[in-house]
Amino acid sequence: MIDWEPLILTFKLAFITTILLLVIAIPLAYWLAYTKSKFKAIIETLVSMPLVLPPTVIGFYLLVAFSPSNAFGNWLDELFGLRLVFSFEGLIIGSIIYSLPFMVHPIQSGFSNLPKSLVEMSAILGKSTSTTLFKVLLPNIRPSLLTGIVLAFAHTIGEFGVVLMIGGNIPGKTKVASIAIYDEVEALNYSLANSYSLILFGLTFCILLIVYLINGGYFKQFYK
Amino acid sequence: MNTLKGTINSLTISGNLTLIGIKVGHINMSAIVIDTPKTAPYLTVENSISVIFKETEVILAKGNTDLISMRNKIKGVIEKIISEELLSKIIIKSSVGNITSIITTNAVKQLELKIGDEVTAMIKTNEIMLSE
Amino acid sequence: MIKINIQKKLTSAKGEMLLNIDTSIEKGSLVTLYGKSGAGKTTILRTLGGLLKPDNGKIIVDNTTWYNSEQSINLKPQKRNVGFVFQDYALFPNMTVKENLEFALEKKQSPKIITELIELIELGELQNRKPETLSGGQKQRVALARALVKKPTILMLDEPLSALDYEIRFKLQQHILQVHNEYNLTTILISHDISEILRMSNQLIELDEGKIIREGKPSEVFNIKEYNAKFQFTGTIINIEKQGFIYILMVRIGKDIVKIVADETEGKQLLIGDNILISAKAFNPIINKIN
Repeated sequence: MIDWEPLILTFKLAFITTILLLVIAIPLAYWLAYTKSKFKAIIETLVSMPLVLPPTVIGFYLLVAFSPSNAFGNWLDELFGLRLVFSFEGLIIGSIIYSLPFMVHPIQSGFSNLPKSLVEMSAILGKSTSTTLFKVLLPNIRPSLLTGIVLAFAHTIGEFGVVLMIGGNIPGKTKVASIAIYDEVEALNYSLANSYSLILFGLTFCILLIVYLINGGYFKQFYK
Repeated sequence: MNTLKGTINSLTISGNLTLIGIKVGHINMSAIVIDTPKTAPYLTVENSISVIFKETEVILAKGNTDLISMRNKIKGVIEKIISEELLSKIIIKSSVGNITSIITTNAVKQLELKIGDEVTAMIKTNEIMLSE
Repeated sequence: MIKINIQKKLTSAKGEMLLNIDTSIEKGSLVTLYGKSGAGKTTILRTLGGLLKPDNGKIIVDNTTWYNSEQSINLKPQKRNVGFVFQDYALFPNMTVKENLEFALEKKQSPKIITELIELIELGELQNRKPETLSGGQKQRVALARALVKKPTILMLDEPLSALDYEIRFKLQQHILQVHNEYNLTTILISHDISEILRMSNQLIELDEGKIIREGKPSEVFNIKEYNAKFQFTGTIINIEKQGFIYILMVRIGKDIVKIVADETEGKQLLIGDNILISAKAFNPIINKIN
């Protein structure tokens, strides 16, 4: 019998991660698109690292950092009572870092592709940066926002290494669908693994298809 | 082009047009323009002004010109004649300065114009341009 | 009164260039910045608007300091109350024509001005359209109207007319003159068209390599006499033939070529390639309708 819990957990994780990422990525992408700071290259590199780094590397460092036996993890634990290792909260933080480039890159290139004169004109017309952002910039990069949201969501659904490293495999807490599939395969329970896989396959296919239909092939450029 | 200095001494306005009377030396001249004192502030009585007209617009007459419709008549004496095959350039010395006229060489022959002749240079009112 | 005294190092195609401007503009005048591309015209407008910071100097508008390098004053564009029409118009693509104008409203400002401007600049039929569906001339009119919504003290137009064909250009010139007078603006625009400058502006600033080389009344700067003539064009001499004591000039005016007879005194000072102003009385032309 199929256990729905890992699937529900997966979508819960993807949903929360995507929303938090949106909040983080918009100001970050805005900064990257318009800054003249010399730190831009360093920040850009850091944001892009998850694209090339093995997920286990990120997972490993997060595990070390969050562990209560280390200074940072200990500080979190003592001050906030927050234990990020082997917890759902830890998974969210791991997922945010892991999916960051998938949200930031489309939004950043959306901002960069808008003529700079729009921002300047808004300032000439006396509007603040936040008015410019919400009334002028964001409405004009809707396709980029949608691309970012969908890529980040789909990518979080598909993650495995980071989750396994910092979340472990605790049913109902950190055992997401991708880990459940691995579990069932290990247990030679191929039909159940197939059920999970098929559901994930079908859902992600549908999400991506909808985006392609809406954006008309727009985000091909981010998906090489 | 011919340029004479003068002073505006009358303005008659009708719609968009203004007929301007100009005193140049002892001679009264007139010009008509598509302007009114409202659109062209320089149109003020007593204002000094340049009267400008092209050489080719200057008509020459010998003898009595009382019965000719032209409003701008300047009497003078021919000082110089340069004749080409078709056109001739005639410089007339008048009380308001030298005036140049370009007319056909045929006309020069027909009127038997020569240096020292007394002539009247005439310009139609609508051919006169003004400048501050 | 606008006092501009600014220095800024610029990197142009030809290398480094120092923009060094010291001039003043009377309130209510219509000023044209004239000069080759890369002379620093757009930079001056952008500096006035607060989009670029000079290296040194002062900008004082009606006794308010907008920029002063010694006192470290540099007002943000938001605080400068200028209207700006960019060369690329910069209309907001997500908003309709009317929404573009409404966006420019200041807090608590009455939206009455929008209806007024839509009427004045004849945007009524376009008001619910998105910018992408508009022609160049229409976009420009929208950009002009939008720049006027907050009733700026200075209106700046970066080559507003260069990309338009003659008919639309003439219409827009009329609109610019109309709003300039209606709203008591001080208007600064960039133009390359001599007859346009003579017709529109009362102050000309000619720039070369970041410096003012000539300045004053346009007719004085171009050294031409002002005639009352209504039949007036600027053109370029493409051929000169001397025939006895007259000269026959072939002149290109816009896309037409005309021949003009000039007297010796006029003809002998002219060379092929010279720009000339041709004036005639409006009474002479004979008119034929073209079907």
